[in-house]
Amino acid sequence: MTHLDPDRLADRALGTDDLLTAAEQKHLDSCDECRDELAQLSRIAELSRHPEPLAQVPADAIWRSIQGQLASQAPAPARTEVAAAKPPPSPPTVSELPRRTPRPRSWLLAAAAAVVGLIIGVGVTTVADRDQVEIASSTALEALPGQTGQGTAELIRDQGRPELRVQIDAPPTPDRYREVWLINTDGQRMYPIGVLPDDGRATYPLPPALAGQLQGFTIVDVSIEPYDGNPAHSRESQVRGTLPT
Amino acid sequence: MTFVIDDARLDPEAVAENVDWRTATEAELRVGFAQGDEGCLQEAFRRSAPLIYTIAYRVLGSSTDGEEITQEVFVSAWRARGNYRAEKGSLSGWLIGIARHRIADRQRARGRDLRLVQAVTKQTDVQVQPEALSTLIDRIVLTDEISQLPHPRGTILQLAFWEGHSYPQIAEQLDLPLGTVKSHARRALLHLRTRLAEVTS
Repeated sequence: MTHLDPDRLADRALGTDDLLTAAEQKHLDSCDECRDELAQLSRIAELSRHPEPLAQVPADAIWRSIQGQLASQAPAPARTEVAAAKPPPSPPTVSELPRRTPRPRSWLLAAAAAVVGLIIGVGVTTVADRDQVEIASSTALEALPGQTGQGTAELIRDQGRPELRVQIDAPPTPDRYREVWLINTDGQRMYPIGVLPDDGRATYPLPPALAGQLQGFTIVDVSIEPYDGNPAHSRESQVRGTLPT
Repeated sequence: MTFVIDDARLDPEAVAENVDWRTATEAELRVGFAQGDEGCLQEAFRRSAPLIYTIAYRVLGSSTDGEEITQEVFVSAWRARGNYRAEKGSLSGWLIGIARHRIADRQRARGRDLRLVQAVTKQTDVQVQPEALSTLIDRIVLTDEISQLPHPRGTILQLAFWEGHSYPQIAEQLDLPLGTVKSHARRALLHLRTRLAEVTS
């Protein structure tokens, strides 16, 4: 008997109730080629039952980046190098901004935040003359698989004191709270930094010994914690990022 | 969506032909791409960027990585178009191959982070294993192909695979003879097999 008609194998893989004849079944039992074919079709039918919808792609933005990169005819630069290649605009320092006294602390932070966008990626630090708030490094926080949300973490120095400022846009989970951690790149050690309010914005003082290069504790992690009185990391992280050193 | 491309700056030697690549067949697109027609790059991007982006995004779990990988894939593909053999395989398959390498590079670069993630979260499924990666890519490709099948073939497959309807139910819903419905389903499955082989071989 010749090989089975692909239509018959497709029927079988689809389970359309068109049973094979005895002769067809006999051939199938003895023919590796037809069995392989059936196995392939069955696998495709099975995989097709579990759709993986295409994500919404920001096509216009990506296409513009591709055009820019090809037009430059240069080897593919990383994003930060693209930013560095442009002459950095001279960012206003905090001291140049209008002053009012008394100045609430949150205002100062907002002013510092305003210049962060200008200095990320160009390796410039901004120091305010008098208040000495310096943004030493910054990272995006990205959602872990299965989680949603995004944000930023910044290592700042306020009059020389190291602080971590975290801002995330991610929904809080009912009956859970969130905790910010600094995790060492050795994967062995971590510090709990503090509870993150539901609005996702907070600034934390850091242990003095973590000043400088953070001593390897550069991974900023936001975990979702149950109210169980257990001080350990819940092992459920919402967002995470690594501060450049 | 419309794209604007600066032909002259991209490839001064390319012959500026007034071809509407949007209606080109896959075979025409392959040849044009290999010959350096930048309109083909744009059209290949329009057709395959959602696929490439989705694969990178799902595997790496971040939209930033998805965007960067997609950008890298098309830039690399265009620069290496001299290595593309139009007669050997599909353009989307070649692009997916480049994406796999780029994703693997990024996973290696993040290996330290990933080990940490595993240490902290005790998750063992954070790094997508090669077999799981192939399965994921196959599922994304199949979903895309099924979405692009013309009516009623696409509708029949979506109802059967995604909605779990029986063929008699589908025949009644679409007011088609049962034999016709089954015939469409058979043809569609064989088509999927061919496309998947082209794209992932």
